[in-house]
Amino acid sequence: MSKRRGGQPPEFRPGAWLAGTGPEHDIAICTRARLARNLQGYRFTPRLTEGESRELYDFVSSRLRQPGLPEQLGIVDLETVDELERSVLVERHLISRELAASKRPAGVAVDAGENVAIMIHEEDHLRVQVFASGLQTEAVWRRAERLDDALLQRLPMAWSEEFGFLTACPTNTGTGLRLSVMMHLPGLVWAEEIDKVTTTAQKIHLAVRGLYGEGSRALGDFYQVSNQITLGRDEAQIQADVFLAVTRFVQWEREVREALLRGTARTRTLDRVHRALGTLERAQILTSEEALGCLSALRFGVQTELLDGFDLPSINRALLLSQPGHLQRHSRERLEPDARDQRRAQLLRETLGCEP
Amino acid sequence: MEYCTACQKAIATIVVMDLTDGAVTGSQHVCQACAEQMGIAQPKLPPKFSAELLEDLLGGLKGGRSGGTRPRVEACPGCGMTPVEFRTKGRFGCPRCYETFRTDLLPLLHRIHEAQAHRGRLPARAAPVEPAAEDPSLLDLRRRLEDAVRGERYEEAARLRDDLRRAERGEESSR
Ligand SMILES: [Zn+2]
Ligand SMILES: [Zn+2]
Repeated sequence: MSKRRGGQPPEFRPGAWLAGTGPEHDIAICTRARLARNLQGYRFTPRLTEGESRELYDFVSSRLRQPGLPEQLGIVDLETVDELERSVLVERHLISRELAASKRPAGVAVDAGENVAIMIHEEDHLRVQVFASGLQTEAVWRRAERLDDALLQRLPMAWSEEFGFLTACPTNTGTGLRLSVMMHLPGLVWAEEIDKVTTTAQKIHLAVRGLYGEGSRALGDFYQVSNQITLGRDEAQIQADVFLAVTRFVQWEREVREALLRGTARTRTLDRVHRALGTLERAQILTSEEALGCLSALRFGVQTELLDGFDLPSINRALLLSQPGHLQRHSRERLEPDARDQRRAQLLRETLGCEP
Repeated sequence: MEYCTACQKAIATIVVMDLTDGAVTGSQHVCQACAEQMGIAQPKLPPKFSAELLEDLLGGLKGGRSGGTRPRVEACPGCGMTPVEFRTKGRFGCPRCYETFRTDLLPLLHRIHEAQAHRGRLPARAAPVEPAAEDPSLLDLRRRLEDAVRGERYEEAARLRDDLRRAERGEESSR
């Protein structure tokens, strides 16, 4: 069977998740719906033999190529994609780290606008993802539902009346729906109220995780808020719960930002933003950790009108380009970590147009 | 209030009766510690977490028609996963695992989702058919059982568990 290359992942288009459009996009950057689906008659991916993995991959990808899907998808066969390109796909949120590290036949079906990405052979046979810029829980769910309807017609999925869609992990059982919103919350972090957000979210069964970095540390003040419960609540309820909670968090972030711009707090906030700008303008070496911190402060400064002369799209682009995969892809060479940090400092100055 | 006749120090909480041919011929008042030493009383276990207890109660419930011990679960016929492997990994091997490990699964789902049955979309579901577990009287019983366990009202919980078991059996025979 012929394998199609997915083509060159475009470096400059920010993808749906950094497009900088949509409701509340300054704080709620991007919304994602993810559906976990598995085929009947096969074991779940981790327990498939090599031969069965191939068979299932070929079957699924041939069905995805049949005309009539509501989305125009091109299939990127990960076996034809090297490690660097895989990390670019991870940084664009099109595939997970786990899928990037997979040794079995695996792939991702993506549309041109990078609004839809179906992972094949993640923990579940299919992980259907739909993205939209800003806070758009209902829109992503509707689009995912429409795509799911079409997939259910061409692929025999595993389900039961009692447990709904059968998934490899019991944390996804039922709807298989994980709705998440990527949020930029520098105000809440600086005002040291972020732990309250996390605690509040937990009480209503939402998870709050750092978008970048390992463990509990959230680099660049980017967080991902998502539903934890997938069973016993229908999709509309999950959607409404996430929407309501995120709306509250957006409001909370706005209130804290206002407080950070008033009275004695204002000087400290200004100091923080200008130090970040100074670093971006002058530093010769920037780790991705430091870059994320500075870009977060810069983003905050621009949105609160403490700074001018920068636009949000170029800051978003800088965020993407500061990631190791994109940085090396853009430089058209593999770089050791030290060389990367040097290149990063230079590239961010160029991207932000602040070459001194 | 009486002191323990064995150690003379602690307050007696247990009465040991001497029985001869079914008639009480004497009695002794002892404390818990002495009773344990004499092999009369079971050592008191630390109180269980309510979740653990709930699991026991619900696990027992799902034990089957006899209402007794859990049935022995063999490896999954679909993928060969053993019960031990399922418990350690917390992952299923195939769709059939859901039936194979149902006994372990129900309390697990409850811990994760506070629910045990699906609500929402299903492929080709013409009219929304309420699954069996959604029977309102069962749901209500289960909720009251959980409340009782959480409130550590164990006698009430045990009674509710029996009611629930009866209700479930009734439903199974009528199917
Ligand atoms: Zn004693
Ligand atoms: Zn199985």
